[in-house]
Order: sequence, then C-alpha cells, then structure tokens
Amino acid sequence: MLIVNDLHASYGGSLALQGVDFSLKPGAIKALMGRNGMGKTTLMRAIMGLVKIKSGTIRFQGKEIQSLRSHDIALRGIGYVPQGREIFGDFTVLENLRLPLMRRPRNQRNAPKEIFEYFPILAERMNQRAGTLSGGQQQMLAIARALAPNPSLLLLDEPSEGLQPSIVQEIVDILLAINRDTGLTILIVEQNISMVMDLAQTCEFMERGRIVGACPIEDIRADESIIAKHMSV
Amino acid sequence: MDKTNSAPRISRSAAVFAVLFAALALTPLSGDLYLLTQLTQLLVYGIFAMSLSLIWGHVGILCFGQAIFFGLGGYIMALVTKGMVPGMTGWLASSCSGLILAIFVTVFFALALGYFLFYGRLSGPYLGIVTLAISVLMERIAVNWYYIGGYNGLTSVPALNFFGFELLDPNELYYFILASAAAMYLFCRGVVISPFGRVLAAIKNNEERAEYFGYNTAQYKIKVFAISAGVAAFSGALFATVAEFVSPTIVGFGLSTEALIWVALGGREVLLASFLGALTVRALEAFLSDILTYYWILILGLFLILCVTLFPQGLFGRLLADRPKS
Amino acid sequence: MADLIIQLLNGLNYILILILVAMGLVIIFGLMKVINMAHGEFFLLGAYTVVLTDRLGLGFWVGLILAPIVVGLLGAVLELTLIRHLYKRFLDTILATWGVSIIIKQTIIIIFGPAGLMTQPPLPQLISFGSLEYPAYRLFIMAVSLSVIAVTFYVFYKTDLGLASRAVIANAPMASACGINTRRMYRITFTFGSALAGLAGATMAPLMSCDPQMGLGFFIPAFLAILVGGAGTLSGILAGGSVVGGSESFISAVYSPVTAQIVVFSIAIIIIRARPQGLLGGKGRG
Repeated sequence: MLIVNDLHASYGGSLALQGVDFSLKPGAIKALMGRNGMGKTTLMRAIMGLVKIKSGTIRFQGKEIQSLRSHDIALRGIGYVPQGREIFGDFTVLENLRLPLMRRPRNQRNAPKEIFEYFPILAERMNQRAGTLSGGQQQMLAIARALAPNPSLLLLDEPSEGLQPSIVQEIVDILLAINRDTGLTILIVEQNISMVMDLAQTCEFMERGRIVGACPIEDIRADESIIAKHMSV
Repeated sequence: MDKTNSAPRISRSAAVFAVLFAALALTPLSGDLYLLTQLTQLLVYGIFAMSLSLIWGHVGILCFGQAIFFGLGGYIMALVTKGMVPGMTGWLASSCSGLILAIFVTVFFALALGYFLFYGRLSGPYLGIVTLAISVLMERIAVNWYYIGGYNGLTSVPALNFFGFELLDPNELYYFILASAAAMYLFCRGVVISPFGRVLAAIKNNEERAEYFGYNTAQYKIKVFAISAGVAAFSGALFATVAEFVSPTIVGFGLSTEALIWVALGGREVLLASFLGALTVRALEAFLSDILTYYWILILGLFLILCVTLFPQGLFGRLLADRPKS
Repeated sequence: MADLIIQLLNGLNYILILILVAMGLVIIFGLMKVINMAHGEFFLLGAYTVVLTDRLGLGFWVGLILAPIVVGLLGAVLELTLIRHLYKRFLDTILATWGVSIIIKQTIIIIFGPAGLMTQPPLPQLISFGSLEYPAYRLFIMAVSLSVIAVTFYVFYKTDLGLASRAVIANAPMASACGINTRRMYRITFTFGSALAGLAGATMAPLMSCDPQMGLGFFIPAFLAILVGGAGTLSGILAGGSVVGGSESFISAVYSPVTAQIVVFSIAIIIIRARPQGLLGGKGRG
C-alpha cells in the first residue's frame, strides 16, 4: 500500500529525515514510535505533501506521490489527522465534515451516514461550532473529517495527546472496528504505549530521521522494555 | 573570509569605499562643470539611499514613504535659511541652525511616528503602506499650504554658509557634499557594525527570537527608524541648498518610490550598493529620460519587479558584500 | 435639513464604494496573505475602461460591464505570471505589485495623458423625494454596490465556495490536506477581488475627474479601512469602511478634503495603535 524509499527531507532548517525506508501493507495497523524530534511528524507530513522532500520516493498503491501537492494526495485516498487536531474551530461539525468532500458533485457533499454510526457523539452535535467541543470530541471530529472521503490510508499523529484514557479507549475501539469492517490501513504516531498495544499490529521505531527497528506487537506485549530500549535517552 | 581570521586585512567594504570615494574626489579634475553639478546632486541622493538601506536592508523595515523625512529636512532647511521661520532671524537663520533644526525636528517626528507604528504591532506591510499614506498626505498638505509655497514650493534657497564662508564655487560645494557623503557612510556603517547594529541584524533575521532573548524590539526599531530619518533629513537639507528649491514632490510618494527602486536595484543590504544604486539609476535617467520620456518610469517599474523577484541582492549587492551570503 | 440628507447620502455612496474596493483587497489578503499594491490601479483601470468606451462612442453601460471582466482577467494574468512565484515572500509581493502599479499607472498616462478626464453620468436625471432632489445615478451606484456586497457576503458565508475560502483563510495547509486545491482558490480569489476593484472604478468614473492618481486615492483609505475594521474579517471592513469613509465624507464636507484626510488618517492610526486587531477583529491579527 505504502512504500517509502530512502526519503530525505528538511524541516525548519535541519535535516529531519535522513533516509527513511518504510512500508505498509493494506489493512495493517502500524505504530511509529520514538522520542520527540526524531522525525515522526515530519515523515507523516512528507507523505501528505506538507513538507518539501529533498530526495527519495513515496509510493502509494503503486504510484509515486512525493511530488504531488497535498490536495491531490488527499484525493488519492490518504486521510490526515495532524498533531493538535487542527479542526476548523469557526465551522460547525457538519461543515468540517463537508470540507473534504468539496471536489465531489454538489449533491454528494454530505458526510456518509457511516461516519455518524462510528461517531455517534458527532451526530448529536452536528450544528455545533467545532471550537466549542471538548478535546475528545474534537479529536473524533478530526478523525471523522479525515475518514469522510473514504480513504484507504489513515495517518494519525499523536491522537491521544491531552485526552482522558476513557476517550482514548473509545477511539481505539472505533478505529479497530473500522479496520475490521473496511480494511482501512492505519499508520499512527504515538507516545502512548497502552494505546499502541491495544491498537497496533506492528511497531517501528524512529531515531534521528531514520527507522532503527521494528517488531510485531506481540513482542512488546511480552516485553515492554523493548520500547524503553528504543526510546531511551 | 571568516570572523576568526585575526590577521589584519582590509575588509571588502573598506576597500570599495576607499576606491569609490577616491574616484569621486578626482572627478573635479576633469573640469567638466556640468558633470560636477550633476554629481553633486547625485551624491545627495546617494546619502538618501543609504538612509533607506539602513532600515530596509539592515533591519527589514520596509518604508514606502522615506521621502517624508527627506522632504521635511529640505523644507525646514529652506524655511530657516530664507528667514521664514518666525522668531529665527540673524544668525539663527544660518545653514548651521538650518541643518540642526532639520535633523532634530525630523528625528523627533520619526520618534513619534515610530511610537505609533512599532508599538501598535504594525509591522511589515502595514507599516509600509501607512508610511505611504503619510507621504501622500504630506504632499497634499504641502501643496495646499500657501506659506510654504504651495504647489510650486520655495525657490532661491540660499547656498550653504558656514560662519561667513559661502559655498558658492561648484568645486567647493562638491567637496563639501562628498565629505558629507563619506561622513554619513561612516556613520551608518558605524551603526551597522556596532552592538546596536548587531541586535538589529538579529531582529531582521528573526524578530520573535530576538524578543525571546529579551530585546525590546520595538524600541530598537524606533531608534533606527529615527536615525534613518535623521540621515534622510540631512540629505534633504543638503538637497535644498544644492538644488536651490524645495517643492511638494520631494516629500511625496513619487520620490519615496524612486528611492525604493534605487536601493532595490543597487542592493539593499549593503550601504555602498544602495549608494551606487541611487547614482546609477539617476545617472541613467539623466541620459535616457530625454530619449525615453514617459517610458522611463515604466522601465523603472519593470526594474523593480525584476529586482524583487530575480535579484534580491541588487546589482551591486553581491559584489560589495563583506561576507559571503549564507 | 435637505442639505444634511444629501450629505449623508453622498457619504453613504462613498462608504459603499470604499467597501467594494476594500472587500477585494481583504479577501485577497485573507486568503493568499498577499497585499496587492496594484489594487488601486485596478480601480483606475475600471474607471478608464469607462472613459475609453465613452470616447469610443460605445457609451457608459458597455464600459460598466466590460470593466470587471477586463480587470478580472488582468488580475488572473497577474496572479499566474507574477504573484504565483511569490507566495511565501510577503514583503516581496508588496514591492513587486508596487512595480506593477507603477507600470499600469504610467501606461494610462502614456495612453490617456496625465490630466483628468470627465465622462457624462449615464442617468443625468434627478429623483425627487418631496422637497429633496438627488441624482438618479448615485442611487443607482449605491444599489449596485449594495447588491454586489450582499452577493459577496452570501457567497462567502453561505456557499461551498465560500466555505472552502474560509477554510483556506483559517488554515491553508490543513485545507489542502482535506483536498482543497489552494492554488485554484488563489486564482479565483485574486480574479474576483480584482474584478471588484474594476467594477468600483467603473461606477465612480462619471462622478469624478478620472486622473491617473485616483487609484492611490482609493487604495489608501481602503487599506486603512481594513486595518481599522480588522484585517482578518470580511465583516470588519463594513465597520472600517463606515468609520473611515463616513468620517472622511463628513469632515470633507464641513471643512476641506485635505483636513479630512489628515483627521481621518490620524484617527485611523490611533485606533490601530489602541486596538491592533481592529474594531471587529478578535484574535489579535496583524
């Protein structure tokens, strides 16, 4: 589904990605872990076309996307939930969900009802201004917004940041359900170990702009210290 | 060319300065009086250009109305030396007091203006356009103010006169202006390389970071704005005596825009480049405007666009810069 | 009393035109973070389109319809050739568009000469309201301005295009990640904003002496109106336009145009200084 090859990219003046090699199978749920500043967010933004790529390739469903603009990448079927959610606070929930569907003909711009089945909280607050939602609701909105155009790949950057464990669990359940029902491929950057253990099937570690290790989730469930090893100072 | 090189060497700008001003000092030997009088005026514009380079190239403050200060200095000089300022007669109506008053009043005006502009978070483009508005406004005031000459301005501005010594001879006037230009260059250069100047460079580079380090960036900007205004006023005052007239055009946006073009074309980040930009463009204009008349301004506009998009360092910027651009 | 009402109507006229000009400027700025210094010259071109059609014997109405089309097209061309390369360079777009304004203004001078030109108002009748007589043409302009402003607001707040625009204004990268073609939005926005300026210029042509400096004469108050009202909001320019336009009109009538300019400018600077986000701005923009 997604193959990243020897990717180099700068961010803010420093070389954030120094040769990333990475791949994702369809339907997989993979977690990307590492300390802050190691390039995880930059990798996501690079896939999404939000960061300028110096060299290397990104292949999505067989086609190269590294030189495409973000909106074209979104149209190809990648949904992005950035760190900090970045929902449009002045818009209503419905308007937030309508935005990704703008390229469709006018009568197809309403969010599919499946979205509201997975996120009933949003159904209750359709006309509420997104800025007035709670943190957890905003996170759900951000995910729903990314899912509205029915993407094949979902990128999540630290979705659990600032949320209560109960909400995080809800989100995990919803994502697992969607993955089960539709085969959605999920790549998640997370520092929250328990979320990763509940959600991911495999895990890769990033350090200083490169992937430095990978393992199936069972290994981590058996021995949590693996994470500590990769995340140590 | 790194900073750690401790061997005594002449910096590029010092060398260029020496060569340039030596060459300029030798031109009177040609005997061409027309060239001399033209050059005298060009030098005044050169000083004006340096004042703009100081705030624009070195601090990143884009001012669309730099002629405000030039014109203010010019008008004050004219009014004082023509004895038109009530209460200022006799020795108070001399060149010295004219120059002093021109600079002081303008600096004070710039300080007040800066207080409003820089503290109000008016940065970047907003500042530029607000100064443009002031420029337009002041030109309008000057046109409508009968006492200071209205549309035609004031003529017969007396020549520079220092303690009885009148600078009537073109050669003497030329050398005086040349010396003033050199002095202004050294002054501006001194500001640039001083600790004050280094903070300004930091502000230009990343204002937020400079603030983060504790610098009151607004105060720094107000101060350099005032200094630049003072230099511009000085050049304006000189202009009044050299051209022997002042009119609303020297305070308006037309001249302000021309200054922007000189500095952009010459190289805004290097004082001497801006200086040369003014001289070059003005000289070209003297040559070509007869042939090209209305089209000259069109070409200037095109130059501006080209410079901004393709040559941000201007024609001379790269040649004259001290350190290689990072 | 009748005089007062006429003054008020004239003031309203000026405010509406100012809002029309400022709207184009503020939408372009909000979306693209570009200040088009040639916006005043687009106004100028609209006015001179009417002058041209008048001189060619085609009449005012042809000019009025042609103006927004011609100027809008010119805006599109400018966006495609120049602005597109300067998106991330804010100060440079200001300078480059200032260069464009010089070129446009000088071209007008070359073609039409530097002096002011007059055209005949197309509706020379006066409409009577009891003892009051007011030029029909001015009422027409106000109707046109109000309609255009209303339509713009409607599109901006009630349509999908407006939704996409507001998304780009709020967070351009995220809007792009949601599938919105930001480049296309920029092109549409710039064209539309320029067309607005052209339309405003065309409507004003019969009321003023058209001279090459009139562009700047509208650009500066429009810009001040934006700053006073709040640079980030469309509704802000309603407030800003009213304050700036209204006071300039009023003081101009009571004292003189020059005094009006001085006072209005000073008021604007004080307001901006005291409240940098503008009268209606919320988040401390600017």
